[in-house]
Amino acid sequence: MTLAELQQYFARAATSGSGPLADLDRVFLGTSRLPASDRMAIYNRGYYLRLLDALGSVFCQTQRALGSPDFERLGLAYLAQHPSEHPAVERVGRSFSEFLRSAAAPPVVDLAALEWARLSALVAANPKSVATIETIDPQRFPEAQLRFVPSLQCLELDPRALALFAEGNPSIVDVGRPRCGVAVWRARHAVEHRSLEAEEWQALNLAIAGNKLSEVCSAFDSGSGDADVRRAFQVLSGWFARNWLELVVYEQTRSASK
Amino acid sequence: MHRLADPQQALSEPARALPGAAAQVGFGLRVPHYDTILKHGLRADFAEAISENFMGRGGRAFDVLERVRADAPIALHGVSLSIGGVDPLSKTYLSELGELARRISAFSVSDHLCFGTFGGHYAHDLWPLPYTEEALAHVVSRVQQVQERLGRRLLLENVSSYVAYRASLLTEWEFLSELVTRADAGLLLDLNNIFVSAANHGFSAEEYLRALPRDRVQQIHLAGHTDTGSYLFDDHGSAVSAAVWSLYQRSLELFGAVPTIIEWDERLPELTELEAEAAHARTLSHAWLAEQREGKP
Repeated sequence: MTLAELQQYFARAATSGSGPLADLDRVFLGTSRLPASDRMAIYNRGYYLRLLDALGSVFCQTQRALGSPDFERLGLAYLAQHPSEHPAVERVGRSFSEFLRSAAAPPVVDLAALEWARLSALVAANPKSVATIETIDPQRFPEAQLRFVPSLQCLELDPRALALFAEGNPSIVDVGRPRCGVAVWRARHAVEHRSLEAEEWQALNLAIAGNKLSEVCSAFDSGSGDADVRRAFQVLSGWFARNWLELVVYEQTRSASK
Repeated sequence: MHRLADPQQALSEPARALPGAAAQVGFGLRVPHYDTILKHGLRADFAEAISENFMGRGGRAFDVLERVRADAPIALHGVSLSIGGVDPLSKTYLSELGELARRISAFSVSDHLCFGTFGGHYAHDLWPLPYTEEALAHVVSRVQQVQERLGRRLLLENVSSYVAYRASLLTEWEFLSELVTRADAGLLLDLNNIFVSAANHGFSAEEYLRALPRDRVQQIHLAGHTDTGSYLFDDHGSAVSAAVWSLYQRSLELFGAVPTIIEWDERLPELTELEAEAAHARTLSHAWLAEQREGKP
C-alpha cells in the first residue's frame, strides 16, 4: 500500500462509527496482549471523545437543555456526518445548530446557534481600532458608513432560546412571540449578547450592509419627528458605547476617520 | 531561574543550550492558569503556547500571551500542521502560524511527526506514520516547504503511539534521525512519548535515545501517562513518572541541558504543582552540570 492508501485506511479505521474494520491485522501489528483491533480502538475512542468534548465545551447550555444522553447521541451522529474542517478543535461545531433542526425543538436549535455565535465572538480577531461617536463628522453625518468590529455577530432567534441560555424556564416566554434580532459581541474579554427592538435590528442590518447613516436612520422613521431623531441618536450612541464600531468611513472621499 | 534580560535573545536559534548553564525550564500555558500567571507573573524561564489556540484570534487568550511574552520567551507548539499528511499543506494555516510567530517573536516553532488530516478534515489527533522510504521523502519535502514558508527551522516532536504498521521498514528513531538530518530540522524530544511507545511496542528507550543525532535535539518534553494495565496511555494527566525522570537524566548525558517543557493537560493541578515539576527538572540539570564540572563521566 502507498502512503496515501495507508493513511486513508488508518483514517477509516480511526473514524469508523461501526466497530473495527475486518482486516486490521493485514495492515497493523498486534500482540497477543494487545491485538491490532484493540490498538486501533484507542484511536477510534479518542477521535470521538475528543470531538464530543469539544462540542460539549462550546454548547454547554444546549447540552444542559437536551440532557447528556441525548446530547451525546446527537453529537456522535453529527460528528459522523460533519468531521472537523478547522485546525482548532472547538470549531467542529460549525453546523451543529443546523444539524439539530431535524432532531430538537426550535428553541434548542436556536440556543445552539446562540452558543456558536458566542464562540465566534470569543475567538474573533481584535479590531484594528475602536471608533467613538465623536469620530462622526456632524457635517457629513448622512453620508457616514459604519464598519463593525470582527466580533459582532447578528442572528434571529426564538426568544425562548434566550430564556434557555439564561437557565430560565422557556415556558415563561409566549410561544407565539416572534423571532427577535440578537447581537452577540465581545466586550474586551467577555462575550455578551442582547436582543434588539425591531427598529434597532433593522437599522443594524442596514448599517452592516454598508448603507449610509441617512438610510440607516430611516429605520427609526415613525413620523414622530424629533422623537424619531432622539431614538436614532440613542441607539447609535449605544452601538458606540458597546464598542461595536471599528471605523467610520465616508464613501465620497474614501477617507477614514478613527 | 535563569531568565536573561532580553527574552528574544534568551533562547534564540540555533543555540539550543547555553554553555555551562542548566536547562531552561518552562511549561505549557493553559487557560485555568491564566489568572495566577497574570497575578504572580510566569515563574518559569519560558512558556510554551499551543499555536492553534492563538492563531488568527484576538480576545483574552491573545492578550494573556502578549503579557507573558513581555516577561519571558514563548515557544510555539502546534498540533494540527499534519506534517506527514497527504492532504496539501494549508496555506492559511502556515500564513497564520507565521504571523503569530512574528508577532510574539517566538523563539521556536514545533509540531508533531504524525498525520492528522484526512480528505480535507482534521482528526485533532496525532496519528502515527508508517516508517517507509516513501513516507520519509514525503515528510522531508513538507518540512522543507514549511521551513521555507516560515523562514525558520521547524522542531519535530516524536509522538506516542499504540499501533505500528506492517509496512514500516525503519524504526521510529531511524526515521526521525534521517528526517531531521535530511530536512535540516530540529528535534523536540518527548521523553514520556518514547517511554509510552517503548512499552506499547516493546522497543528499548535507551536504544532510541542513543541513536538520535545529538546536535538536533533542541527541546525536551516531559509529561505524565497512565498505565491502563494492557498499555500505557499518554494523557498528560499526572506528574512525570520516575521512569521518565530517569530518561531525562539520560538525555542530559546524551544531549546536554536543552530547554525543557513540562506538559500537563488532563486533570490540571494548581500551577504550583507544575512549578514543582519544573524545579525538579532544573535540579536534575544542575546536578548533571555539577558532575560535568567535577569531571565525572
